[in-house]
Amino acid sequence: MAKVFGLCNLHDAPGLGKLTEKRPIGVVSFLGRYGLMDFTLSNFSNSGIDRVGILADRSMHSVISHVRDGSIWINNTKTGSQRIFFNENTPSKKFNTDINNLLANRLHFEDEDVDYVVVAPAFFLMSIDFRKYIEKHIESGREISIIYKKVKNAKEAFLNCDSIKVENHLVKDFSVNIGRAKEANISLETFIFNFKTFVELLNHTREISSLFNIRDLVNYCATNKLYEVNAFSFDGYVAPILTFDDYCHYSMELLSCETRKNLFIDNWPIYTTTHNTPPALYGPNAEVKNSFVANGSNIQGTVINSVISRDVVIEEGAVVKNCILFSGTKVGKDSRLEYVVADKNVKIKEIKEVSGEESCYTYISFGANI
Amino acid sequence: MSHNVVAMILAGGKGTRLGLLTKKMAKPAVSFAAKYRIIDFPLSNCANSGINTIGVLTQYEPTLLDSYVGNGEKWGYNGVHALLTSIAPRQTDEGANWYKGTADAITQNIEFLDGLNPDYVLILSGDHIYKTTYNEMIDLHVDSKADATISVIEVDPKEASRFGIMAVDSTDRITEFQEKPKKPKSNLASMGVYVFSWKVLRKYLIADKNADTSHDFGGDIIPAMLNDGLKLQAYRFKGYWRDVGTLSSLHEANMDVALARSDLNLYNDPNTKIFTEDTYSLPHYLGKEGSIVSSIANQGAVILGNVKSSVISNEVLIEEGALVDRCVVMEGSVIKKGAKLYNTIVAPYTVVEAGAEVNLNQEDIALIGGKVVC
Repeated sequence: MAKVFGLCNLHDAPGLGKLTEKRPIGVVSFLGRYGLMDFTLSNFSNSGIDRVGILADRSMHSVISHVRDGSIWINNTKTGSQRIFFNENTPSKKFNTDINNLLANRLHFEDEDVDYVVVAPAFFLMSIDFRKYIEKHIESGREISIIYKKVKNAKEAFLNCDSIKVENHLVKDFSVNIGRAKEANISLETFIFNFKTFVELLNHTREISSLFNIRDLVNYCATNKLYEVNAFSFDGYVAPILTFDDYCHYSMELLSCETRKNLFIDNWPIYTTTHNTPPALYGPNAEVKNSFVANGSNIQGTVINSVISRDVVIEEGAVVKNCILFSGTKVGKDSRLEYVVADKNVKIKEIKEVSGEESCYTYISFGANI
Repeated sequence: MSHNVVAMILAGGKGTRLGLLTKKMAKPAVSFAAKYRIIDFPLSNCANSGINTIGVLTQYEPTLLDSYVGNGEKWGYNGVHALLTSIAPRQTDEGANWYKGTADAITQNIEFLDGLNPDYVLILSGDHIYKTTYNEMIDLHVDSKADATISVIEVDPKEASRFGIMAVDSTDRITEFQEKPKKPKSNLASMGVYVFSWKVLRKYLIADKNADTSHDFGGDIIPAMLNDGLKLQAYRFKGYWRDVGTLSSLHEANMDVALARSDLNLYNDPNTKIFTEDTYSLPHYLGKEGSIVSSIANQGAVILGNVKSSVISNEVLIEEGALVDRCVVMEGSVIKKGAKLYNTIVAPYTVVEAGAEVNLNQEDIALIGGKVVC
């Protein structure tokens, strides 16, 4: 197999409102157990990519405490490796780009003994076998490829994503999806490069713009006809987590067994960090319907259409409906929550009712006592 | 851990009374409380006690248990000073030998222990469910200058004849050991947890090596030490402790967790957390029509039917309309539509066909495995 380096790119990511205010998108909790970047890193692992880098834009502590030494994803910890790249000397937020990060860490990156590099973001959730696309990339003889998805709901989803015009499996043009048409070829911001070309391009970028992201670079190469860029279509399920509303919407959508099967496919495990929590405990009056419940939780009340993360306590008489509760949330006796996203360690004691709407979930901040 | 202690865990037993659960694996590897294997308890207890070195003595069906123990990472034993290794019987200079008894398992590993040169050896069973740290017991052993200290638990006097009973004086020094006595002299049962001063134990193991005995701690080593007037101290253990050697005791201990009715607290107890293997599965999912009460469930389970007072392990599927009531459903099992199970232990990867009814009269604990159609 070709020697491939996988780069999980946490830069250039959409903001999910308060959820990403203090943490990078990659570690945002999802479905009660995962961090969003687990999908990307598991895709690398399941595709046999054992040398990975994480491009962290901030909050190194939360990134490191989530990915640890990489042994969760890496198959052989001697021949494989996980490197975390962070640009310590970025002059301002504006210059904190993936390319500047790689350039700042070039001495630790350019020595990778690989032939290809796959760059993938953390906010398009999918189960994708990169091997298939790497093979096509090699066969094509070209140096850059984009993986895209042909979607039919571009009017309401994938807004502000790059949309590409494809002819004969080549990228002809880039535009931004502003929801004008139903159908669009949405760039999954997943790129394959020949490693040497990638390194050369990074160095060359400085001459063009010091604000460029990898995404801009590919766009520049294609539109200025510096390189012919392959466009490979991905047919599988993609959950785009581009906004707080998307986050809520896809959390709920994945409660359905049918949808879930598209993301969690056979023989394609999604790896994540373990927290050594006991199985969830249900009391004699527990009532639970259509919900995910993670380990360590203690459910004495009612839970309907909800995602309950690790170590959540729902006391007797409490009702939790259409909610996403992060780890350590405590819902006191007889409290009612509806359409609420409660961040980590929220304690609901005195207030008896918090509710949002289906179109507008109420967010409760990390550690709030209410 | 301020003392130089090595723990040796006896994990070679077959556990014949657990029927098909131990047909292909040793008893310490049997699953417990939806997420754990029994051996997680003594291993986590050691980790929580700050004991850095553990030998796990395996014999019956060791492959699964050995690979489960691995490099000890699951319990944190991959650190710089830590060592956790499983040791099955092997061919040596002296020939090939099975472990002939609990004491012989240690005797055959004297060199391993000599290499570590401990002051004290902690002997544990790999098949007991309890949460503790051993520090207090080891401190008692050191402070009382005992040659051996045995952990004992008070049992119902009526039940005492089922156990190895320790008679003690007013200072809890052991005066007599009775193995399953008809007339017990106390209600202090041995838990099979011993602290020995290594030099003393080493001498007794060598003496026992070629003697015509059953090479057993309870049956031979302890009586020999008492006979020679050595100081054996009883350590009174307070708390939850169960030997889960029978189907009914295994079922009952599982129910203790599911019904949250005992002192075995697995929740919010950071000092005696039980560590185990993680599975790469989604949190468990409860369906639109199902229900779950007075139960525990692990990640990866999908519950579309009804669960009452039960233990649901990882990757279990309970289909629509199925009912499990006071059951222990082990990993990967499928209970198909409309099946009804009562008071049953479901072995790992069992398939209970649609509409099957198991243990309707609910008198004893049933154990099922393979494909169940009744």
